[in-house]
Formats: sequence, C-alpha cells, structure tokens
Amino acid sequence: MAPAQRCPLCRQTFFCGRGHVYSRKHRRQLQAALDRLLPQVEAARKAVRSAQVERYVPEHERRCWCLCCGCEVRTHLSHGSLTVLHGGLLEHLASPEHKKATNRFWWENKAEFQMKEKFLISPQEYAQFKKSMVKGLDSYEEKEDTAIKEMAAQIREVEHSRQEVVRSILESQAVPDPEEGSSAPGSWKGTTSQITSTSQWPSYLDLPPAPELDWMETGQPLTFIGHQGVFFFFHFQLQDTPGLGNIHSGATPPWMAQDEEHSSGNQQIGPSYEEFLKEKEKQKLKKLPPDRVGANFDHSSSTSAGWLPSFGRVWNNGRRWQSRHQFKTEAATRNKQQSKKMVS
Amino acid sequence: MRPMMISDFTTRLHTPLSKTSSDLSKMAAIYLVDVDQTPVYTHYFDISYIPSTVFFFNGQHMKVDYGSPDHTKFVGSFKTKQDFIDLIEVIYRGAMRGKLIVQSPIDPKNIPKYDLLYQDI
Repeated sequence: MAPAQRCPLCRQTFFCGRGHVYSRKHRRQLQAALDRLLPQVEAARKAVRSAQVERYVPEHERRCWCLCCGCEVRTHLSHGSLTVLHGGLLEHLASPEHKKATNRFWWENKAEFQMKEKFLISPQEYAQFKKSMVKGLDSYEEKEDTAIKEMAAQIREVEHSRQEVVRSILESQAVPDPEEGSSAPGSWKGTTSQITSTSQWPSYLDLPPAPELDWMETGQPLTFIGHQGVFFFFHFQLQDTPGLGNIHSGATPPWMAQDEEHSSGNQQIGPSYEEFLKEKEKQKLKKLPPDRVGANFDHSSSTSAGWLPSFGRVWNNGRRWQSRHQFKTEAATRNKQQSKKMVS
Repeated sequence: MRPMMISDFTTRLHTPLSKTSSDLSKMAAIYLVDVDQTPVYTHYFDISYIPSTVFFFNGQHMKVDYGSPDHTKFVGSFKTKQDFIDLIEVIYRGAMRGKLIVQSPIDPKNIPKYDLLYQDI
C-alpha cells in the first residue's frame, strides 16, 4: 500500500499513490473546480480589450481564489476613489509565478491540456490591458466632469427660480402701496416706512393673494402666502423686526406672553387670611384626641371617670353616647346628693 | 391633542382631516384656522405655505421630524387618511410619554416638498 497522500482538490486522504488522479471522483472534482474558476477568468479576459473604470465601492474589495496558486487574489484593482474592474485578477494571471503554478497544477492533477491556455494571460495581452486602462481612465474623468457640470446647471436653475418667485412677490406688493399715501416712491421703501410708524404687527396679510405657485409635482399645489422675511432684504434696524419673534428664533409663544391688563403687582397669589384660618382648623381636627387609646398612649396621663369604654355597666345596649349620657346624669345626681349631705 | 390646520377655506385640501375627525375624536380635536384672521400666530409659526398643520398637546407645541427642513409644522396636504391617522397616533403616543419631538411614520415620498425662502443668508 502506498503512503498516505492528501488530495487538496478532493479534500481527502488516499492510499492509492499516483492512481488517485485518474479516478472518477478526482476528475469530477477537478472539472467542478475549473468550471468555478473559468467564468471569472473569462470576464477578466473581456476586460483586456475594454477596461472599465468606476468609482470605488466597498464591494470592490472582493477577492477570488486562484486554484493553481492556492491563494486569494484581489479581483479588482482600486486606487484612491477609482477602481479598474478585473485589474487585480489580470495582473495575477499574467505573472510568471502563476504560470509556473498552473503548469505544476496541470501536471499533478492530470487535467486536460487544451484547457490550460484558457487560464493563462500572456504578457502581450497584459500590455494591451494597460493601454485600454489608460483610455478607460480618461473617459471616466470626462464623464465625471459632465456630471458635475449638470449638477451645477441644476443648482443654478433652482436658484434662478427662487429669485423669480421673490421678484414676483415684490412686484405684486407694489400695487397696494400707492393707496397708503406714503411719500416714498419705491414699493419696498413704502412698506418699510409704514412698519417703522406702527409698533403693532404690520398688516402684511392685507395684500392681495400672492400668485399660486405649484411646488408639488403630485398636482396638489401649496399656496404661497406673503412671507414676512422676504420684505426685509435691506439692513433696516427696526424695533419689532418680525424675523426675530419666531418659533425658529426661540421667541416666547403668543399664548405665554404676559398680558398687559394683569400686572404682577395687583395679583396676590396664595390663600387669604380667612382661608388660612379655616385650613388651620381643619388641621387640628386631623389630629387624634390625646387620650385616645393607641400605640402612643401616654400612660402617665390622668383620665377622667368617663374614659373607660363601658361606664361600669354589664348589659350594655345602644350607643356609647347614650350610656355616657346616663353615666353623666347619674354622676351629677350623686354629686348633688353628696353636696347636700355635706351641707346638712 | 389639537392639530390646527391653517388654510384658506378650500375644501379639497382638508378632506382627509374632516373624514378622519370622528375616528380620531378620542385622540385629537381638529381645528381649522384662517391665516388672515390670526396674524400673530401666523407670524409666530412662520407660516408661508398653506395648508400647514401645527400640533399641540396640553398647550405644548409638538415638533415632528418629517424629513423636511421644518420640524415645527406639516406643510402641505396629507396624501391619504391613513397617513394622517398614523401621524396623529405617533404624536399622541410620544406626547403621552412626555416627548416633545417625535419621528414621523409617513413615507418620505408622500410628504410634500417645498422650497425654503430665507430672510437673508
């Protein structure tokens, strides 16, 4: 029997010596492994003619297992923020170490000779790939430039439309100004002079309704009402600048603002004197009477004759106050008789 | 809870609110406010687009993160009744737990987009 040998392809130890590589199982495993590797090599070979350059994505870190060399190889070549697809694999396939390893692999496993060429990349092909890579990089840069230009144009467009809106609102506001009879000629100055004269909130909302502008693509338009902030393009220092008294600026809400009618001096908080006395009485009643029997009973205190629950009677019937009343009346008569006796 | 919807009197924009008011009666009371008649509040809440919906709980203004720039109010109309019901429920649950700002459950694509006009930048 031959010494134990491990076949890495079948992942098995066998004792047949060199006969193992001709067995059906081994050939099947070999075929499966080569079929797994072949599509990736083919994809890399396609990239030789036309190299693709893309923006770096963490997925480009993926590695491939080279069967012949028995090592992991990076599939794509990435540098900085760019990736050349299949660059890493091609580099490996073109290297002389891989060629040596492939030859050895083919010899040891007795694979088909014709298949070997498919897994090798010649140096000429690699040079071709490098040229196409340079071309790919140039075209990628061009694409990026056009994309950036498009974005800039879009931003410019949006900004322009915003300016249009602002202008249209200011123009529509120019209509009611002559009615107010202010001396200033310009539309904006007319508004601002009106503001300085009044200390209350100026009535911006008396303007005619602003043109309806569709902001939503779903077809349900939002109506734009006069925005107070728009009128203050100029650096006017006003006492009641509405931009300051906002929820966004953290002003006090209108419902929390102190009313002018009730100033803090007039209002008294807390109970009046009568209410305080009433409260005191209630507190007194809360306390238990001092001679009540309980845990805190003071045993040294003197108690009256009526302290005991029963007033010396046996067949008690009825309420305690009835027996107490009877006891008191009897005690009174007893005292009277005693005092009479004393006198006489 | 009191969501107050600030609008003009066009009915098409607030039909989801009116249809759901009975379902939500145990959680919320819905009020319709005209912008022209409440200039103080319109200014305080910085209402520039109508309809806008502002939410209160026990007199406390509730903020909601809709994914839009303004958390203090919902700008625009609601796409479906269920959106509105879900939003009310989330606000109610958050408010009952003492939160002052909650995350909106509405799908971002159903939330109306609008441009912000700033005063001066």
